[in-house]
Amino acid sequence: MSAPLSAHEVTRRYGDRAVVDRVSLSLPPGQITALLGGSGAGKSTLLRLLSGLEGVDEGEIRLGEEILSAPGRTVPAEKRRIGLIFQDFALFPHLTAARNVAFGLKHLPKAEATARAQAWLARLGLEPRANAYPHELSGGEQQRVAIARALAPEPAAILMDEPFSGLDPSLRDSVRDAALDAIRAAGIPALLVTHDPAEALEHADRIAIMSQGKLLQEGTASEIYTRPVSAAVAGALGPVNRFPASAAPAGLLNGQDAGALILVRPEGVCIDPASPVRATILAARMTGPLTRLTLDLQGLKLTALVPPMSGIVQGTDIGVRLDPALTFTFASGKV
Amino acid sequence: MPALLAGIVIAVPVIMVLLAGLFDGGGPTWTHIRETLLLRYLGGTISVLALTGALCLLFAVPAAWLVTMFRFPGRAVFEWLLILPLAAPGYVLAYAWADLAGVGGPLQSALREATGWSARDYWFPDINSLPGLAFVLACTLYPYVYLTARSAFVSQSVCALEAARSLGASPGRSFWAVALPAARPAIAAGLALALMEAAADYGAAEFLGVPTLTFGIVRAWKSFGEPAAAARLAFVLIGVIAVLILTERWGRGRAGSQHSSIRWRHVSRTQLTGLPALGASLSCFVLFLTAFGLPVGRLVWRSIETGTRAAPIWDALVNSVILAAAGAVFAFILALMIVLAARAKGPAALFARASAVSGYSIPGAVLALGALAIIGLFPVTLSGGVALLALTWVYASRFTAAGTEPMAAALARAPASLSNAARSLGASPSRQAFEVDLPIALSGAAVAALILFVEALKELPATLMLRPFNWDTLSVRAYAYASDERLAAAALPALLITAAGLVPVILLSWQLSRSRPGEDQ
Repeated sequence: MSAPLSAHEVTRRYGDRAVVDRVSLSLPPGQITALLGGSGAGKSTLLRLLSGLEGVDEGEIRLGEEILSAPGRTVPAEKRRIGLIFQDFALFPHLTAARNVAFGLKHLPKAEATARAQAWLARLGLEPRANAYPHELSGGEQQRVAIARALAPEPAAILMDEPFSGLDPSLRDSVRDAALDAIRAAGIPALLVTHDPAEALEHADRIAIMSQGKLLQEGTASEIYTRPVSAAVAGALGPVNRFPASAAPAGLLNGQDAGALILVRPEGVCIDPASPVRATILAARMTGPLTRLTLDLQGLKLTALVPPMSGIVQGTDIGVRLDPALTFTFASGKV
Repeated sequence: MPALLAGIVIAVPVIMVLLAGLFDGGGPTWTHIRETLLLRYLGGTISVLALTGALCLLFAVPAAWLVTMFRFPGRAVFEWLLILPLAAPGYVLAYAWADLAGVGGPLQSALREATGWSARDYWFPDINSLPGLAFVLACTLYPYVYLTARSAFVSQSVCALEAARSLGASPGRSFWAVALPAARPAIAAGLALALMEAAADYGAAEFLGVPTLTFGIVRAWKSFGEPAAAARLAFVLIGVIAVLILTERWGRGRAGSQHSSIRWRHVSRTQLTGLPALGASLSCFVLFLTAFGLPVGRLVWRSIETGTRAAPIWDALVNSVILAAAGAVFAFILALMIVLAARAKGPAALFARASAVSGYSIPGAVLALGALAIIGLFPVTLSGGVALLALTWVYASRFTAAGTEPMAAALARAPASLSNAARSLGASPSRQAFEVDLPIALSGAAVAALILFVEALKELPATLMLRPFNWDTLSVRAYAYASDERLAAAALPALLITAAGLVPVILLSWQLSRSRPGEDQ
């Protein structure tokens, strides 16, 4: 098992603006940590700091006990043994797939490097494409070559910047599964930068959420999903209904402070014929496996995601309750 | 570090001229030139630039619009035929057109035969005049504008044009109000290039007897033997060019949103029929004939008539190839150094790139003066190896930018993440330069080397000023024969230069037709 890659109170400024602001994050080996946030949240900059493409202004980056970055002292990217995978694949256009993969194996004798490259290509199902140039490969193949290339030198950690967002949706799942299996099997720390909450929830072991340069929360997927520490975290993992407790009709809430802010996920708004809280269905739309309802609870409008059932049509009056596991209460003003 | 070195090598001749122009005492020759000739030279250059610019726009923009937006007989052929005039240097066209349009030439003879007039009964435009020079220069230089205008029209958003149409704009108004303003920065850039070349012309101006600054520079050095006076004129010429470049920057303005839509749609060309189709074909054909077909045809005719009997040419051909190859190799190495360093960024790379671009905008005659000033610092004379070395240096100084551009473009197409990928795989900066950047840059290198070779082959004024005694190149030989009114003898060397020039031009047009935006390569 290799060592964790960790950031300790790391800050990076562009001019006066801290794009990464005192972030601490530890990436455990053998697990995939998703770094989730909107554009401009500082995710890509944090990845550049971890990889050594940029230096830190404050704090430290360590691999195990070894200090990789400190202010004014940066082990350069080429000395770090940290693999990178890019959204645009970044394959060398003048090298074949096999030679791309062998690029990082310079320290090995040529025959051994070639054999290792072939083995990695085979592992990702690319054996027949070894002698193809990047422009002759499909998008999915290119990404798998990029992954093989990053893993072949047996890096100490691997960092992925939106690696699957350039792929066709129909390819994305199969490439992603192959890639993440190989990365988990390598037993090294892995960071997956993404702006897609569904990808983070489904494929990562741990999730870290960033916004405006700050790390808001870090934990396992279910921890973060069911116990967000702030409204911003709850909002980052998918759509939420958001309303002041004072706006809720009687009986909907369980005695929360009237000044509190309530967040409830659409799937936490449940239909319960026995409930005394009544709502009118303003709109009902199929969204695949679930139906999206727009409800009017005596003036409070909520969105609900419910399994399809009969009798759910516009204008119907139904009973509603909130699932406490998916309802979050925050002191008002804490956003 | 290599970038800094390359930048200095390129910049030194220009700096020497500027220093000489500023600090060397002008002497009586300068007083004479200033009092009697300077205004004429300056006025000549400015008038030639203005008229050449106007003619270039007139030739290039409508033609570019026609071949981009419409379908008419011969369109696909004209699209690349119209680039060919770029191959013939201005002085070659000047010789051919003077021969064609002179009193004894085929055009006037035909006119007299058809009408029965004598030479005194009619007026015919005189090619040996300032408008004549502008016409000849526009013939060879309009393709710069045509190329940039055409690519701007091709890459414009069809959606914007269709939106204009849907808002009730006629095709004419779509052109004037939407397409032309959007293409203006590109047209201005092409025009600036064309005018820089026009300002640098020596051979055509001298042959047609039009006093311009470049003409004056070579004359001050050759006839008066006054490099200091020539340097002062060069100083003025550099000023004119600087104004030109600044005007282009200013004209470019903030408009630069040509590529607004991500998804490309091919311009769907409107089919022309009947009279408009005939008009479009005819105007393209006349333009091609005027700028290339007639003059080059005339040269071919003349050389077939006389063959090589008129004058030996092989020695000049060999000299040309040796010199152009040496200049191209030197410029290529400098260009490579600059391009690879530019990947690393930093002030040295920026300086090198800037000095390459400024060298490209400085006329060969001026750089030759700079080389003479450098030689003057050392106890050597301008002969043999020293002269060839100086000439190679001037070629490199002038043309390196032409070599950096194709290679820089090849590198620019490669995403920035490549170098990060190389670093994350443990490649040292030098390994990255040699194993990643260099092979990618070299994909643009063949074109770069070819362009450099041909540019050096075509160069006249610097070659004229610096070549060792009795060491003629094709351009010098053509010039010498033409100056002696031996046009038949000048035809073959002029034709050979043009033929060499055709190779990169055809390659360029072939590349253009292959790599349209919206099509994967």
